[in-house]
Amino acid sequence: MSIINYVNKEVQFKIVYYGPALCGKTTNLSYIHGHVAETSKGELVSLATAADRTLFFDFLPLNALIIKGFGTRFQLYTVPGQVIYNATRQLVLRSVDGVVFVADSQWDKMQENVESFRNLQDNLVLQRLDIDRIPYVLQYNKRDVGNPAPVHYLDYILNNRPVRVPSYEAVATTGQGVFSTLNAISRLLLRKFVRETEETAAAGKERSAAPAVTALSGIAAGTRR
Amino acid sequence: MPSSADITPGATINVSSPAQRLQSLLADFLDKTQATFSLVIDRGGSILCQHGNLDESIDCTILAALAAGSFAATKELAARLGEPEFNTLHHQGKTANILVNTVDDDAVLMTVFGPETTVGLVKFYSVGTVTCLAELLKEARSSPDSQVAISRQDITGVGNIFPQ
Repeated sequence: MSIINYVNKEVQFKIVYYGPALCGKTTNLSYIHGHVAETSKGELVSLATAADRTLFFDFLPLNALIIKGFGTRFQLYTVPGQVIYNATRQLVLRSVDGVVFVADSQWDKMQENVESFRNLQDNLVLQRLDIDRIPYVLQYNKRDVGNPAPVHYLDYILNNRPVRVPSYEAVATTGQGVFSTLNAISRLLLRKFVRETEETAAAGKERSAAPAVTALSGIAAGTRR
Repeated sequence: MPSSADITPGATINVSSPAQRLQSLLADFLDKTQATFSLVIDRGGSILCQHGNLDESIDCTILAALAAGSFAATKELAARLGEPEFNTLHHQGKTANILVNTVDDDAVLMTVFGPETTVGLVKFYSVGTVTCLAELLKEARSSPDSQVAISRQDITGVGNIFPQ
């Protein structure tokens, strides 16, 4: 669940870009940073190796004015895609509100896509989260490579669950699909946030316990470890 | 060591909301330590509250994300040495220093301080401050008064939140 800084009247959402190594997670954030309005963005911070591979995470804060009376801050993170950095991915996933899973459309990356998606599910479980209960979208990146895997095949291997999630074709280097993906996950997060605050308010009227959202902490009980 | 009662005599009493009490607590902490700035951070990297004066060019959101990441990494280091976690983390610079303390399972306190004070003094008062913070956050999480009333009528412009 989102965090609310009641002192600053600000709602904060954490979005993590997840996916296999070199699928384009950092490229997504770089493109967003380069093309979003100056007034909406903070600095893009990258904790990378000397070879420019993500070591810990990339971080980009974005602001929006969409909730009356509150500032809204979307905090975009990437995880390191390389298999050896799984402990780091678990740290970055802490308190995640929503996920963008970036898949690589190249045929020889299908196994890595599937393994990374399974890894995401496993790491969410460690955070006491269920992939079917948090907002996420799929981005099929690198559609400009020669002979990319067809979308229906990517859907078959990654989006073949009881509830299908939105998926977007993308070429992150040129920006195609990047903002569609970002706006989609942001909308999903807002929808969930409003639904849960309304439910909490309704439950409060019925004198129910277990608030879903509280000021300052805004932590859904038991879900954020 | 100071107890929670020693740290903020009166500061957490007779103020209406948990937010105000948190602000009072941090103000009192900064006053006693002569530290520059304090942030209470969710362990996922989001800011819960802040107090003090920091150069406007410094983005607190980024400080929070990096501090939370750094603290989480040291927790993993601790685990490998058989410790649950290192409950404080100190970064020492020439003119700027940072102390990060555990508040509870969900939050840490980050304090930025300069040469006008000492790490010993900041550490000393941070112990009682985090105890009070933990109590206040626990109260805030469970208090019906601190729930946020936002309905779908309060949301606008979701069609294109981030125009290119």
